[in-house]
Amino acid sequence: MPSYPLSNYLKMHRRRSGFFQDEVSFLLGAEGGAEVCRHERCRRVPTLETALAYEAIFGVPVRELFAGVYRKAEKEVKRRAGRLARRLHRANPSRLTERKAEALRAICFGSPDCSTPNHDPAQTK
Amino acid sequence: MIQRRQNERRVLAIDPSTRGFGFAVLEGSLRLIDRGTRSARAKEENKNRQCLEKVEELIDIYAPDVVALEKCDVRSSRRCARVRRLIEAIVMLAAERKIRVRRISRRQVQAAFAESGASTQHEIAAVIARRFPELAPHLPPVRKAWMAEHHAERVFGAVGMAFLSTKRD
Repeated sequence: MPSYPLSNYLKMHRRRSGFFQDEVSFLLGAEGGAEVCRHERCRRVPTLETALAYEAIFGVPVRELFAGVYRKAEKEVKRRAGRLARRLHRANPSRLTERKAEALRAICFGSPDCSTPNHDPAQTK
Repeated sequence: MIQRRQNERRVLAIDPSTRGFGFAVLEGSLRLIDRGTRSARAKEENKNRQCLEKVEELIDIYAPDVVALEKCDVRSSRRCARVRRLIEAIVMLAAERKIRVRRISRRQVQAAFAESGASTQHEIAAVIARRFPELAPHLPPVRKAWMAEHHAERVFGAVGMAFLSTKRD
């Protein structure tokens, strides 16, 4: 069975820092610990502002705090990057197209979605 | 900062007690994701059913790669019949979900922690608390002969098994 990251690691980092949900909630500027509980249990996705506040509280980047969400978003972006690369491949080659292809390669680097011949943005060159 | 490696397994360890069970979730040997106790207030098989529902909840939340349980078919095990049945039920549940199960005896836990100079349950708990400082405030007091086992001790038992499961293969 493959192992995937959890949606978020808020509870782990909160417990490491020794805070209670109420205290984290206070730091976030919210009332009561219910909101923090909802975030920890993935019942609600925090706003960008709150996610950045979590980063400030725990000193851990958002992409690590919300590792599962990040991985899902990254996978989707890589998949779309492969599609965009194929679309660019059909367009007329120019300097701008080359730059875009390079950026897409950077996005897709090491991704299984893009490693198949059909998805390989390297073909755009 | 400790980052999770791709090949690190997530282990859910369950350590049953008379009141319910203690659990610990570890990713690799350094990341303690969650730990705690769950109580079941019923008798015999109803208690097992309640425990099983709570274990199922934990499996849903943490989607572990491995479930670690006590090996109680060895002669040294002093587990009661109800707890043995509960452990077997959890093994069946894990099999249904296609999750690997690791059975670890108390002797194996003791042997693993003997390197750190810990042999008793409390000494092992103290070593675990040093390794995971967030557990230190929950370290139960040294148990006297007339004292019942502290409920939190099951958490340390679970962390010990989870820790071993991340190491052994």
